[in-house]
Amino acid sequence: MTTHTEVFDESRLVELREQLPIRPWRSKPRRFTWSVIIASLAPAVFVGLLYVFADIPGALLLVAVYLPVQIFASGLAAYVTRGTRGIADSVIIVNAIGATVFTGIILASLLGSLIIRGWAALSAHFIFQNNVYINPSTPLEYGGIGHAILGTFLIVLISAVIAVPIGIATAVYITEVRGRAVPYVRFFVQAMSGVPSVVAGLFILTTLVVTGALSQSALAGGLAYAILMLPTVARTAEEVLKLVPEELRTGALALGSTRSRTVFRVVLPAAKTGIITAIILGIARVIGETAPLLLAAGNADQTVVNPTGSPISSIPTYIFNNVALPYPDAVTRAWGAALVLIVLVAVLFTLARVIGARKPGR
Amino acid sequence: MSTSEFEEIIVLEEQLIEAEATAPRPVELAAQDVSVWFGKRKVLEGVSIDFPKNTVTALIGPSGCGKSTFIRTLNRLHELIPGAALAGQVVYEGQDIYSKDVDPVHIRLKIGMVFQKPNPFPSMTIRGNVLSGLKLSGMKRSGHDEIVEETLTKAGLWKEVKDRLNHAAGDLSGGQQQRLVIARALAVNPHVLLMDEPCSALDPASTLKIEETIRDLSSSVTIVIVTHNMQQAVRVADNTAFFLASENEPGHVVEQGVTTDIFGNPQDQRTLDYVNGRFG
Repeated sequence: MTTHTEVFDESRLVELREQLPIRPWRSKPRRFTWSVIIASLAPAVFVGLLYVFADIPGALLLVAVYLPVQIFASGLAAYVTRGTRGIADSVIIVNAIGATVFTGIILASLLGSLIIRGWAALSAHFIFQNNVYINPSTPLEYGGIGHAILGTFLIVLISAVIAVPIGIATAVYITEVRGRAVPYVRFFVQAMSGVPSVVAGLFILTTLVVTGALSQSALAGGLAYAILMLPTVARTAEEVLKLVPEELRTGALALGSTRSRTVFRVVLPAAKTGIITAIILGIARVIGETAPLLLAAGNADQTVVNPTGSPISSIPTYIFNNVALPYPDAVTRAWGAALVLIVLVAVLFTLARVIGARKPGR
Repeated sequence: MSTSEFEEIIVLEEQLIEAEATAPRPVELAAQDVSVWFGKRKVLEGVSIDFPKNTVTALIGPSGCGKSTFIRTLNRLHELIPGAALAGQVVYEGQDIYSKDVDPVHIRLKIGMVFQKPNPFPSMTIRGNVLSGLKLSGMKRSGHDEIVEETLTKAGLWKEVKDRLNHAAGDLSGGQQQRLVIARALAVNPHVLLMDEPCSALDPASTLKIEETIRDLSSSVTIVIVTHNMQQAVRVADNTAFFLASENEPGHVVEQGVTTDIFGNPQDQRTLDYVNGRFG
């Protein structure tokens, strides 16, 4: 650099220092936070030694030794750095971080066990092939869950096509139309959300499949799913429509808008992100449900595209059929299928969020 | 045309403009003996005000005296509140807007409104907001680009937003949003514009711009404005009506008339006290 000066220039140093960004609010709390975190983690070493050298169960150590010592240590650290008021802060910080870490550990262990047990089953043919010619003792080099993935997609699509419009219409009736039947509609939606999934499957089985109106198929399975999805979509959509400010409705009406145009062009678009959340929650409610599909959709080894004609497989029923078999490869396939299901759900939801987060215009 | 004839035209035209300015204007909108209830509580009693064509009428009075309630009866927004009731007539173009064969949607299209809190539609762009009235009311008007420029210019917002018409309306500041909703209200060509404290959430500069807008608009639109700002009433309004509600009594109009009379020479002691800031 050319601006280097040979002689020490103190005023230049002061000037340069003044240009540094200063964040006065940072310095103290950071020291506080760090000392509390270190103080709450330090007992882990002590407890770890106890666990290794003394014969005490880990859970007991965690609850009876680690947690009390941790609370005390972090409280002490908070008292030293900030006085009495720091103690309350530290309790909240330690508990919040603890709860977050706990949730994270549960999620990670769930995902971890899926990956550990199911990873061996994953391969390109596992995603694309079907289960024809495969029996439980067939090695993992052959067969896959392509037919089950397609089945799940088909069934969830059918149920969403049925339940999402009805669910949103129900929410619109409750929050926008505000007709006389609102308390009854609300009551029914609430009652519906308590229906056990197996009952939804039984209902479709007895009313449509046994009577011969439909065979076990994607459509029958989708109808059973729709019963479960509808109340979730309706209630979530109702909550998000309630959040749309009343001023937007009166604003639209004051422009000479009809009720229906107000709903479709102003209220629903304003609640778009929330509506997408409602759809996501509805799909999440059903996508892992097994019982309704065992009853209404049946099972198949081959790839089925026809939504009405024949029984169809899905990821949950595939898992159900394989996980209890006395063949290790079949069990691995079931874990692999569960891993695929979770990844599918994650991809689907991320996609929906990205679409929903788009702002109007550029 | 000779020079003298030319001069004569100029003189005659001036006389015409003068005559038009002083001639009594026809009444466009009139409230006749309007009383309002919420549930069993009567909040307004016997309000009769004429709104002459292309004038600005200010409604002033302390909080809770029913000004906002009254202004919402003028375009049938009042009836949207559960438990609302109304007696009397609101006559627009010779017809009671509350009579059975009148469609409120049609009335609201002719009698637009700007609210206290700016309420642009968050799902639309700036341009989309200006044109939203056309879409929402199903009105056909050609030349959308011209409408956008013209109404935004009238609302005093064009220069600030002309380069970002396709941005989300929510990105604008509060004052800009308020001017945007004024442009939105103008895009459907209303004959009457109701403004419920349009400047209460704005800074002085934005307020001044909106007052200029109101003055400009008053040559083509009949304006009713609720305001708590007495200087604003003096600055923009041709006529003023003073509302007052005593304790546990419904609100009513104490005095109404030409603005200069209400503020300069009020007949009622309460009006005198109020406009001089002695209560309220």
